Amino acid sequence: MGLGRWWRRGARERQRAEEMRAHLDLYVEDLMARGRTRADAEREARLAFGNPRVKLEEIHQMTRMPIVDPFVRDLRYAVRVLRRTPAFTVTAIVTLALAIGACTAVFSLADAILIRPLSYPDSDRLGAIVAVRQSPEGVGTQQSQDGTTWEFLRDRATTVDIALTASGFGRNVNLVVDNAAASVRQARVSAGYFRVLGIHPVAGREFTTDEDRPGGPAVAVLSHRLWQRLFHGDRRAVGQSILLRGEAYEVVGIMPETFRSPGEPADVWTPARPSRIGEGGGANYSVVARVRPGHTWTDGAGELARLGQALFTERGLPKGHTRWLSLVPMQHELVRGVREPIQMLAAAVGVVLLIACVNLAALLISRAGSRAKEIATRMAIGSGRAAVVRQLMAESLVLSVAGGALGLLIGQLGLESLKALGSDTFQEWGRVTLDARAVAATLGLSVLTSFLFGLVPALQASAFDISAALSDSGSRNSAGRSRPTIRRLLVVSEVALGVVLLVVAGLLIRTFVGLRSLDPGFDPSQLTTARVSLQDARYKQSARINQLFDDSLTALERAPGIESAAVSLELPYSRLLNSGFTFADEAPDPKFWPMANFMYVTPRFFEVLRMSVRHGRVFTPDDRAGAPLVAVVNETFLRSWAKGVNPVGRRLGGGPTAREIVGVVNDVQVSNSGIQFPGRASAPIMASPLVFIPAAQTSDGFFQTSHTWFSPVWTVRATTAVNVSQVLPRAINSVDPLLPVNDVRSMAAVQAAAISQQRLLMTLVGVLAVAAVLLAAVGIHGVIAHSVTERRREFGIRLALGATTAATIRRVALGGIGLAAAGAAIGGVMSLAAVRLVQSFLWGVEQHDPATYIGVALLLLAVATVASVLPALRILRLDPAETLRN
Amino acid sequence: MRRKGRQREADGDMLAGTLDMLILRTLQSGAAHGLEIAQRIQRQSDEVLLVEQGSLYPALHRIEERGWIAAYWGTSETNRRARFYRLTPRGRKHLLAETSRWETLARAIGRVLRPVRLDAARSGSR
Repeated sequence: MGLGRWWRRGARERQRAEEMRAHLDLYVEDLMARGRTRADAEREARLAFGNPRVKLEEIHQMTRMPIVDPFVRDLRYAVRVLRRTPAFTVTAIVTLALAIGACTAVFSLADAILIRPLSYPDSDRLGAIVAVRQSPEGVGTQQSQDGTTWEFLRDRATTVDIALTASGFGRNVNLVVDNAAASVRQARVSAGYFRVLGIHPVAGREFTTDEDRPGGPAVAVLSHRLWQRLFHGDRRAVGQSILLRGEAYEVVGIMPETFRSPGEPADVWTPARPSRIGEGGGANYSVVARVRPGHTWTDGAGELARLGQALFTERGLPKGHTRWLSLVPMQHELVRGVREPIQMLAAAVGVVLLIACVNLAALLISRAGSRAKEIATRMAIGSGRAAVVRQLMAESLVLSVAGGALGLLIGQLGLESLKALGSDTFQEWGRVTLDARAVAATLGLSVLTSFLFGLVPALQASAFDISAALSDSGSRNSAGRSRPTIRRLLVVSEVALGVVLLVVAGLLIRTFVGLRSLDPGFDPSQLTTARVSLQDARYKQSARINQLFDDSLTALERAPGIESAAVSLELPYSRLLNSGFTFADEAPDPKFWPMANFMYVTPRFFEVLRMSVRHGRVFTPDDRAGAPLVAVVNETFLRSWAKGVNPVGRRLGGGPTAREIVGVVNDVQVSNSGIQFPGRASAPIMASPLVFIPAAQTSDGFFQTSHTWFSPVWTVRATTAVNVSQVLPRAINSVDPLLPVNDVRSMAAVQAAAISQQRLLMTLVGVLAVAAVLLAAVGIHGVIAHSVTERRREFGIRLALGATTAATIRRVALGGIGLAAAGAAIGGVMSLAAVRLVQSFLWGVEQHDPATYIGVALLLLAVATVASVLPALRILRLDPAETLRN
Repeated sequence: MRRKGRQREADGDMLAGTLDMLILRTLQSGAAHGLEIAQRIQRQSDEVLLVEQGSLYPALHRIEERGWIAAYWGTSETNRRARFYRLTPRGRKHLLAETSRWETLARAIGRVLRPVRLDAARSGSR
């Protein structure tokens, strides 16, 4: 039976009463028809019927459900009581709704990304193979493996079924259908990749081992979406050919609509063709594994650890180092880098919710104070303490359920804005929706919060001396004595929690500001960039690629409003290609190869970016193929690898490919690509050793290898406000119409994207911290306002006896500031521990940065002063004569 | 208050069961309003069972709650508004079960009671 029936009971009982009246009327009529007088008939009818009131009462007793009924009565009463104080009720519900809404939004995110299992069959048997390295410096992991490791595992592993995907390969590539170019996301996977994931093509098949070897046939598997787009869902697509990167590929399979590749999304898959050289010479394969039936996770992990140890020992390890392979649950691996930000957010919204509860508890306590008489009356006429507590809890429950309902709405809005804000930074956020699980969690949260903020005030309110509360004089002193203490404790704790959030937000702000104010090393204004994938069969030779560069740059520089243009393998603020190198005049250390970032550039690159030359010269059009090979390095290179000595004239590498360093340029900021070098700073954006080579002197091999991971960038500097975002693609397509131009962005956007994660976290935690401080301020305000109201008489007497208003206000306000100071001190100590948890998000700022702590303390004191002085000013309106008379 | 209510409910259970069955039986011959039900019971039991008319309503309420009867507002033969009750299929089934249970019980009680009466007769004749 639903609760609704008990709500509607009144109507049903009225119907019964009406029915009985009708019965009596009928009977009277019946009797009168047999000749009785009306008076007689009515008397007899009443006698025969009995007392209708008693019968109604009997029915009423029957209808009540012993447990639910008082509960419903409490709820109805609670609703009535709350309606009488709309200001309080609205404040409470909105506070709760905001806190619960924030929690719901973040919960949805955390649930979808961290908690819910992956959409692969038996996904708990899926893992990623990660290399673990233990050295005297510590433990490190490497997510990708090289071709040697892959082949070793493929030939030996028995307890796990393994497959690989070429890492970092989700870039856009060109697909040509009917002479129109489109940009699709390609992924390269090994034979058995889909089998390992447990998802089979809906049509056709996946790659065979024969296709998955260097020089194997060109075959492709399409995503459901791409299949619909290209072939409109025609199953005869299998066997057809598509032109991918300028090469004809035969479609052999189509994946189901529900299939999502782990990690980066893909539209088309081609065989990975792993090898030990080229791409496979470096750690560029992500290996996935499924524990075979009949074996346990432990079997698989054990075998991989053994195989890994054998392999790495065979390949040689520096002294004191150990390496092995580890099996990491797939989900864990996929959320690497996403987990911590979400956990931090969850912790922050949790704190805000806690503060909201504390605040409501404080509000309810002062409310209970003003209701002391009502409660005392009820207890005096026999209501038990349990009944009073139950009644007060019902009020909290009504508040929190209403807050939860509204919170769900706010959660939906919050999730949408989180997605809008965050999906550029965290791709996984884009597909999260608010669902039944989130609704259930919100409901649970609402009920939980009602206990959190309702129980203490309810217990408090019901424990007092009835006679004191009822007598007029008593209610002001004795009943109120213990309550302010608890309220003060609550306020101190909410200030402390707010301080923790503020400190974290402050450190994040300092991190962000620090990163943003780094000298870019070039002039980013008026720069626009665009990428073109050259993973194309037509662009395999250096000469052909340089022809494209030259022609398109000529076309661009001829366009109106374009000052200069250049092509480079990558951009500042991006992640660059890592490569080892040697000096021709230095014996290489076999244990430690120096590493640097390498990129090719066209001659005017340095001019377009307005970088400065420190030593020697930069490239000229004369540094062409056939001319002596040259390179330009940057200052960090000079500092970390050339011992600070001008390296112009030294040669990199040996033999016929040795390059002479002809110049040194200033540093630009780039993304941390993980290479080790002396004096390296651990920051997401930093200056790293860079080697530039002229595009004209770049070999076919370097082009082909680097173009598997990187799409070259066209950068133009505009003189006027021309619409570069249209001019740029048009110029490139005037040279080759079949090259899709992607990512047309201003340099400012590139710059912003590089620190978007820091910006996002700073914004979110900042907003939550502000909310926390506002709640704390409301709490302080409440305590002071309440004490002014309660001590009206006392102040009246003081003023009458000659105390000045200013002194009285100061006394009262100082109480609030004192609370804030106590909270700030406790919060400061708590922060010292809490910031350790967010250390991985901080750069360029000390965990215990004194400026942040002092700033937070000052901000809080300012807020607390305002929150304390405002209510204290009510004393000004006190008329001593009036307060004394009452 | 509550305790009192519960007690009354418990006391009424035995009688209520019987009254419920009588009401159901009465409705077997067609829909009727409260007064008709009371009069039918009285008439059919040869005026032995005098039902306090008001007591019908708690019983009707209880039976309706259980889904054995359904109620609707209609007009009586004298053109007055009255609430009519009719047997639901579930009520019909329940009545059948209840009637056979009652008969079994009545027979059993009869068997138990008969010897006692014989004994009494014998001792009386001595």
